Amino acid sequence: MNHTIRETFAPPVLVGTHQPSPILRVCGVSKSYQTLAGAVQALSGVSFEVFPGEFIAILGKSGAGKSTLINLISGIDNADSGEIIVNGAAVHAMSEDQRARWRGRNLGVVFQFFQLLPSLNLIENITIAMDLTDSLPPAQRRQRALQLLEQMEIAEHALKPPAKISGGQQQRVAIARALANDPPILLADEPTGNLDSKTRDGILEIFSALAREGKTLLIVTHDQEIASRASRVIHLRDGRIVEAER
Amino acid sequence: MKLLRIELKTRWVKILKDIWGNRQRSLLVVLSIAVGIAAVGMINTARHIVERDLYGQFRAGNPASLILYVSPFQKQLAGAVQNMREVETAEARRVVAAQALNSKGEWKDLALNALPNFNAPKVDQFRLESGAAVPAGREILLERRSADGLGVKAGDMLTVKMPDERTYRLRVAGIVHDIYVMPFSLMDEATGYVRMETLQWMGEQPYYNQIRLVAAQQKTDRASVLKTGELARDRVIEPAGYQVFRIQIPGVNSDPGQHWAQNQINGFLLILQVMGILAVLLSGGLIINTISAMMTQQARQIGILRAIGARRSQLITMYLVNVWILAAAALLIALPLGLLGAWGIAELAASFLNFNLSEIAVPFHVLLLQVGLGLTIPTLAALYPILEGTRTPVVQAIYHQGVRGEEQERPIDHLLMKLKALSPPVLLSLRNTFRKKTRLAFTLATLTLAGAMFISVFSTRASLTEQILQVGRYIAFDASLSLKPGTQRQTAEREALRIPGVQIAEGWASSSGVILHSDGSESKALEVVGLPHDTQTMDPALQAGRWLRANDTAAVVINDDLLESEPDIQVGDRIQLKIGEAKRWFTVVGITSKHLSGARVYMTLEEYGKFTGRMNQADVIRLRAEPGKLAAPQVQAQIAAELETRFNNAGLSEQTASTQNTLFSTFTRPFNIILIVLIIMATILSIVGGLGLTGVMGLNILERTREIGVLRAIGATNASVFQVVIVEGLVVGLISWALGAVVSLPSGFLLAGAVVKAVLQATVHYRYSPWGLLLWLAIVVLIGVFASLTPARSAARLTVREVLEYE
Amino acid sequence: MIALPQTANTLQTDTQLIRLVQVVKTFQSGAGVFHALRGINLEIAQAQFVSIMGKSGSGKSTLINMLTGIDRPTSGEIYIADTAVHRLSDSDVARWRGETVGVVFQFFQLLPALSLLENVRLPMDFCDLFPRAERSERAMALLELVGLADEAHKKPAQLSGGKQQCAAIARALANDPPIIATDEPTGNLDSATANQVIGLFEKLVEQGKTVIMVTHDAEVAQRAVRRIQIADGQIVSDRSG
Repeated sequence: MNHTIRETFAPPVLVGTHQPSPILRVCGVSKSYQTLAGAVQALSGVSFEVFPGEFIAILGKSGAGKSTLINLISGIDNADSGEIIVNGAAVHAMSEDQRARWRGRNLGVVFQFFQLLPSLNLIENITIAMDLTDSLPPAQRRQRALQLLEQMEIAEHALKPPAKISGGQQQRVAIARALANDPPILLADEPTGNLDSKTRDGILEIFSALAREGKTLLIVTHDQEIASRASRVIHLRDGRIVEAER
Repeated sequence: MKLLRIELKTRWVKILKDIWGNRQRSLLVVLSIAVGIAAVGMINTARHIVERDLYGQFRAGNPASLILYVSPFQKQLAGAVQNMREVETAEARRVVAAQALNSKGEWKDLALNALPNFNAPKVDQFRLESGAAVPAGREILLERRSADGLGVKAGDMLTVKMPDERTYRLRVAGIVHDIYVMPFSLMDEATGYVRMETLQWMGEQPYYNQIRLVAAQQKTDRASVLKTGELARDRVIEPAGYQVFRIQIPGVNSDPGQHWAQNQINGFLLILQVMGILAVLLSGGLIINTISAMMTQQARQIGILRAIGARRSQLITMYLVNVWILAAAALLIALPLGLLGAWGIAELAASFLNFNLSEIAVPFHVLLLQVGLGLTIPTLAALYPILEGTRTPVVQAIYHQGVRGEEQERPIDHLLMKLKALSPPVLLSLRNTFRKKTRLAFTLATLTLAGAMFISVFSTRASLTEQILQVGRYIAFDASLSLKPGTQRQTAEREALRIPGVQIAEGWASSSGVILHSDGSESKALEVVGLPHDTQTMDPALQAGRWLRANDTAAVVINDDLLESEPDIQVGDRIQLKIGEAKRWFTVVGITSKHLSGARVYMTLEEYGKFTGRMNQADVIRLRAEPGKLAAPQVQAQIAAELETRFNNAGLSEQTASTQNTLFSTFTRPFNIILIVLIIMATILSIVGGLGLTGVMGLNILERTREIGVLRAIGATNASVFQVVIVEGLVVGLISWALGAVVSLPSGFLLAGAVVKAVLQATVHYRYSPWGLLLWLAIVVLIGVFASLTPARSAARLTVREVLEYE
Repeated sequence: MIALPQTANTLQTDTQLIRLVQVVKTFQSGAGVFHALRGINLEIAQAQFVSIMGKSGSGKSTLINMLTGIDRPTSGEIYIADTAVHRLSDSDVARWRGETVGVVFQFFQLLPALSLLENVRLPMDFCDLFPRAERSERAMALLELVGLADEAHKKPAQLSGGKQQCAAIARALANDPPIIATDEPTGNLDSATANQVIGLFEKLVEQGKTVIMVTHDAEVAQRAVRRIQIADGQIVSDRSG
């Protein structure tokens, strides 16, 4: 996979060929936070593009700005300046509520600490995503949730609450939830940070499979293993992109 | 999840599971709502029942607007009065003061009522309970409470003693329910009904001495009714040659046509109503705190929900529905609870005031009120925390690390930072108390109000006790006895001193009189009392001027009760008194405090004798065992019994003797009931306050589990962790106690004032209760410790590892 | 270089300070049994700078939790400074830990309501090793050691992450424990501050403390004298020098 070529050469313009347009465009994005110790510049002028079907790993140490970046892309957080355009939607220009709605329907988000709702069972954790966005007729939701759980190979625990399954299994449910509304893009923030090596490999396998199916993946991590599976790696240090390699 | 075969949307599944999953907190919210709503329901339903049953039954029996006390007349006079167009009904009645023997062999006062027509009584109609409605000759009907008090029932024989000391045996033909007389249990006076023929058989002359009339227009207007009475007197009665001694509106300071205790009852219900509103407000504060707690705990989940697509409006609806479900559950508890409480109050009132309860059910308007409040208050209270809780930016909700920081710094925080003398664990507790200021404010408000009410109830009790003591100064005797008219004072005093143990005996004289105004009008009837100037059976508290002196001529001391009807009288004024036909001018040299015995004018025995011509006569004898302390109740009872026996045997009296103690008991009985109800209300408020603190402490600890884990990691044993938590609970408790103490000064004054005004129609002698303050301190300390104990224990039990891992 | 305030708490024995004997830890969860540590045998002498490196789920955090008494082994024995730590109750272990092991967390975990000085004093108040009158003075000296004397009266939120971590280290030294245990101390710090913190640890070891550091960062792990690697609950390598 030589996406380096894509970076350094302009793609050849072939007559009659449909040019792929980026599914994600980040332009000059900056974000700073106020703490009692003063202002912290989390991101400064970050720009890059992602094309459909890419598997991107965003690499960097703690405090490099990775989580901030992914949160800005998902609209969970608000940039100070710059543009974020996801699948044609100008995320940076939406209100908090609009972003929530848009995100529910168009994006799948997976967090480091799974973030499942503790009082619901696995099926309900998935159907709630569909319920909130009204994405599927109510009668079909349960069916789809079961299908996703089967796809993640945890259907036998469908009626259990998250507390009764392992970390790796919870993350699988989280991924299933992220896929509930069949979004074209999946974002993940340190998805394997809390898992042991064996489980991690299982999760990575799922991500690779999703990439093969054509989903666009953006995964934030400090783990080199994940980076090795990505089609492209973006390095972040102290709030800036330092090199886009491979 | 299917509920009743309907597939619920997942968001409602979450809410239902949240409610069940946090059972304790859900229960707290349900209880908070239920307490306030039940209180409101209880009070309003009770009020409805009392109005419907007590006042309704009262009105149904054609209550007298006025009672005219007339010189002996025949019943045709009443007919003539009834012919007046201002009068709707007038009925003659004869009342004789007699005595009856109860089942224990004691003589009790008995008011014998003779009616012109038992078949159809027209005014103040009583109703038959059992037996015959119409007594035959030598038969008597008894009021049901009197029958209970005397220990007789229909069919029994009753021994009655007439004023001339002769006794007769009458058969109790029937038991009636008379809602127009004060119950035996309150007045210690029985009421019986006989035919005029029976009275004659018992040695009385056949005449009537009362006209009870019902006005035609404006039946409830005092002035109009009194005018009607005066018209009756001037146009019909006196021209016919009879004398009207008194025109009286029945009851204790009531309006015509009103139940004799209506003002008191209404006053009391008003106080309860206020406390009910307080309970609702407090429960509102409690709800705010608890829902805040819930929203804080849900913060991360709200973040997740928004991350996966929820809009703010969806979230707000979800949590409002959560509250509504709990409110519905609360109503299910509060409605029957309120009804139960109302039933309790109604039963109490019915037995106390001698009326019948018809049905115990929640009236529709009260139901509406409860449901309305039960949904509105929680919604309003929960709205702010829910709006705030759904406002947190998603980033903050999901991504937070380390020990959480504080809210904005306020001056109090700077102040607390300066406190360096205390050890860090104590400083930690202190500063943590002020971490969440809004939450602290609500908790303090709840507890402070509860504390203030609690202490106020005790202050009310203290004030009432003080009131009674003040009144007690004027009945500073061990025993007293009414004497037969014409009794010689020296004879009575000499006889009294023969009683073993009695060192002091005073004969007092009294008559009914009026003050003549400059325009010729007369004041309301008052009592003119002649007594020794150096009396030892009364300790007057002078509000102005001085007491009587030995060489006083034409000097009088009036009491404050008189100023109610004659407010312009001051020390130094001259007033003209009239007793019978005698008139005389006197100078007011002093005014004593109110002693709830009616308007009185005091003068020396000599002056009294000169004025009325009744020299050396006494109408009442008052005894003391010794000049120092009053005797114990049993000793008083003995002396009274001796007094009564000797004087009755000697023909000096035919009444029963009283002791100060029995007078007090009669006086204080209604108060005790009121105090019990007030204490129950105060306890309810305290429970609400306690619940509030418990919930808040639980939440505070929950939010700081991470911090507690850190404490354990750096060396804190269980005891140290407990200390940090309990000190916080104590600090909150103590602050609320201090605030409550301050608020309780004015609130106690208001409550005591309201109660005394309602029940005694008097102004209060306010006494603050330091015991109440101390008791509340103990309670608040206990609440503070126990509210912290459970959360502290569960927090300490978590292993450090669990706590330091990301939650 | 400022010397640590000397106390009688520096041990002079030859025997190993820390001994783990066949320590096993398994977790029961709704998902089944997870073997975090599979029979660890480990000895650490006094005044050693030890790093324990491993990936997520390797058992490194569990291992250090055994050493600090924050967690208890399923089986096996743990002797630290001649105390059978595995037999202590939760409350007793907290007290023992306050005196013997200073813990430095990844997220600093200073109490936000207290000033730096009060944070550093806190362990002394719990363990009563120093007379009350001396505590503030000692706390100041410790803050001076880590270069934060001027900020002693500030609250943690007013300082940068690096400074907070240094304050946390001062707190860990409050009762002059022979052992400092730390889990990912530089995980939340930028490279410059991370360097400073490691330097501080090196200083402490020179003065006789035993520092045990868990990390997933190879660079940081290299700075220790003794480098242990753990994977899947077992020690796979143990190099010194």
